[in-house]
Amino acid sequence: MSSSSPSDRPRTIRVLLAKLGLDAHTIGVTVIAKSLRDAGMEVIYSGLKQTPEMVVATAIQEDVDVVGISSLSAAHMNHLPRVIELLKAEGVGDKLIIAGGVIPKEDGETLKAQGVAEVFTMGTETATIVRYIEDWWATR
Amino acid sequence: MRLYVAAQVSIVCGHGASVGCPMPDGKSVESYVSKRDPIEQGASSDGGSDLDANFKRWETETLAPALESAPERKEKFRTQALKWDVNRLYSPRDLEAIDFDFNRDVGFPGEFPYTRGTDPNGYRSRLWTMAQVTGFGTGEDWATRADYMLEQGLDGLIIEYDLPTTNGLDSDHPLAAGEVGRAGVAIDSLEDMERTLSFDFSKLKHLTSVCNGPQPVNLAMIIAAIEKKGIDPASFTLQMPNAILIEYTCVGRYIYPPEHGLRVATDVIEYTIRNQPHWVPIAVVSAQLYAARANPVQELAFGFSIAMEYLDSVLKRGLTIDEVAPYFSFITGVDMDFFEAIGKLRAYRKVWARLLTERYGAKGEDSLRLKLMSSPGTMSMTLQQPLNNISRLSMQMLSCVLGGGGQTMTSPLHDEAHALPSEEAIAVGAAIQNIVAHESGTADTIDPLAGSYYVESMTRRIEDAVMAEIEKIDAMGGALQAIKTGYFQRELAREQFDRNKEIEDGSRKLVGVNHLAKDDEERQIELFALDPGSEQRQIERLEALRERRDNTKVDAALGRVRAAAETDENLMPSVLEAVKVLATQGEICDVLREVFGVYTPDSLTSGV
Repeated sequence: MSSSSPSDRPRTIRVLLAKLGLDAHTIGVTVIAKSLRDAGMEVIYSGLKQTPEMVVATAIQEDVDVVGISSLSAAHMNHLPRVIELLKAEGVGDKLIIAGGVIPKEDGETLKAQGVAEVFTMGTETATIVRYIEDWWATR
Repeated sequence: MRLYVAAQVSIVCGHGASVGCPMPDGKSVESYVSKRDPIEQGASSDGGSDLDANFKRWETETLAPALESAPERKEKFRTQALKWDVNRLYSPRDLEAIDFDFNRDVGFPGEFPYTRGTDPNGYRSRLWTMAQVTGFGTGEDWATRADYMLEQGLDGLIIEYDLPTTNGLDSDHPLAAGEVGRAGVAIDSLEDMERTLSFDFSKLKHLTSVCNGPQPVNLAMIIAAIEKKGIDPASFTLQMPNAILIEYTCVGRYIYPPEHGLRVATDVIEYTIRNQPHWVPIAVVSAQLYAARANPVQELAFGFSIAMEYLDSVLKRGLTIDEVAPYFSFITGVDMDFFEAIGKLRAYRKVWARLLTERYGAKGEDSLRLKLMSSPGTMSMTLQQPLNNISRLSMQMLSCVLGGGGQTMTSPLHDEAHALPSEEAIAVGAAIQNIVAHESGTADTIDPLAGSYYVESMTRRIEDAVMAEIEKIDAMGGALQAIKTGYFQRELAREQFDRNKEIEDGSRKLVGVNHLAKDDEERQIELFALDPGSEQRQIERLEALRERRDNTKVDAALGRVRAAAETDENLMPSVLEAVKVLATQGEICDVLREVFGVYTPDSLTSGV
């Protein structure tokens, strides 16, 4: 991937899917990864036990367009705001940040106010997430 | 041939459709298919062809017109997880097709091949131990909940620890933030374990302690805590999953690279066999494979291949197979497809007995008898319309009893998908177990579905497929190799994706999810609310402990753990010593991390 600018030729959408802290529920992220790949996106997976610093470093190094955080543990409010803060501090706050998993509505609202574009809770169809990313890509 | 006909007596009569029940002597068996055209079949050698003719006649004369007016509601009928075609009707022809032999395939309870159960008298003498999983907060919180559960009539408890504990980290580690006391009880030091075990032990029969990665530290803490309490270790059974190889496969709470994980687990098994011979130092938690969407064949084949890695590893410590095998136990998960679940449970016992005799030459009955715990619920609970889960759980509990779910079963929880279990969910779960035990009559005769054409076909088909898959894993070099190359992980990822697709495209119906679903429904159940202050209290406690203990003793003890880790000396004695001088779990695991290294899966082995 040569450039982050889409002006020259259509570029493949690059997505980082990340797990933070000790949350080891991977079924959701596995299904999403395959669905995004099947839709033609490039998916980079962070692996488990990541800190916000590690996730942001990977996002920059891999020059991704989208950062997707999967959270099915209790600690999303401990880690997610820090990811947003660090992305902004590194000057790459224009990436699409989305989250998914078990995130209560109130927490979802707080995260959206801080910069998460959308929160996809349990039961969201994979096609909905694919379409959301594609729509964002087309209109950004 | 005669034997299986006799075995079906109760089934045929049970349907109430028979005009001439087959006699136990098998001599005169009238057709139960047609009143107009009775056929002599029974033990006669031409029984098969008569049955074939009658089957075809039924298809053309009776079934075909019915199908014309009412076509089938699905193009294909398939089992849920294995996607095996389900025949319209099972009959003796299906048993002939698999060369079914009563003595070889089914036999008698308490005898090889144990298809009918490991207890010679089923559940007629003793019901299963009714256990419950729980864990949250601090040690005191856990002990209070334990007393409540024992009062509900449960006699087995399963301790779940929080993620920092199961990952071998102290509560003040940066990765632990937000997780302390959440998914389980938080344990940093022996003092936390003493608080956790401060409930009334007099009612306890069985305790399972789920702490795979740091299992040596966990075992040491339990030994030291009950020693201080003056409890006889033989007064209850302690079961440790110690199931580190499953963690690499799907759960993710691994610490060291797989070979070192196996060594640590082997140390726990060997130490327990030699020093605490009434405890169970290994449980292959195939339920975790199931939770990662393994189908029944994968669950058993991966689980048994993993069990054989542990067996081989312990045998190298100079013990014989009949000294080791009785200490092996298994924990399985039970899903919604009723007959897959029953077939799986029956095949589970049979395959274990076969592997132990055919591969290891085990002779002891205690080696061949599968020690099994079953867990209904878990992955089939829906977030939507949670009260529906009570009905799902009743069915799963029923399949546990009909299939012979083992010596211990866990109480199902209908709020599993929502939160940590509420007291109401625990009480309902315990009631479900008791309703099945005392009201359904299913526990009153042994292996009641034996001889069912469908159940026997399913059991054998699962058995054969498991043996074939185990051979495939053998050809890869065994389970450790299959983990290192990511085979298990990729197989599970495929199952996960396929299942999700079926739910999304509606080919698999889930009530409340994609069938009879309602928008914006209100939660209708009482949920458990966690005390938000417990994390901070736990961290403060840990800091105070580090101040007040004798740190010179701690450093010396940690040095001895390191020395043991660097050689092939069993880790348990030095870990026990470190625990007693109040070294924390994180500190002990850190020493082992320094010696063994830390495991990081790559893109091939993560399964994503």
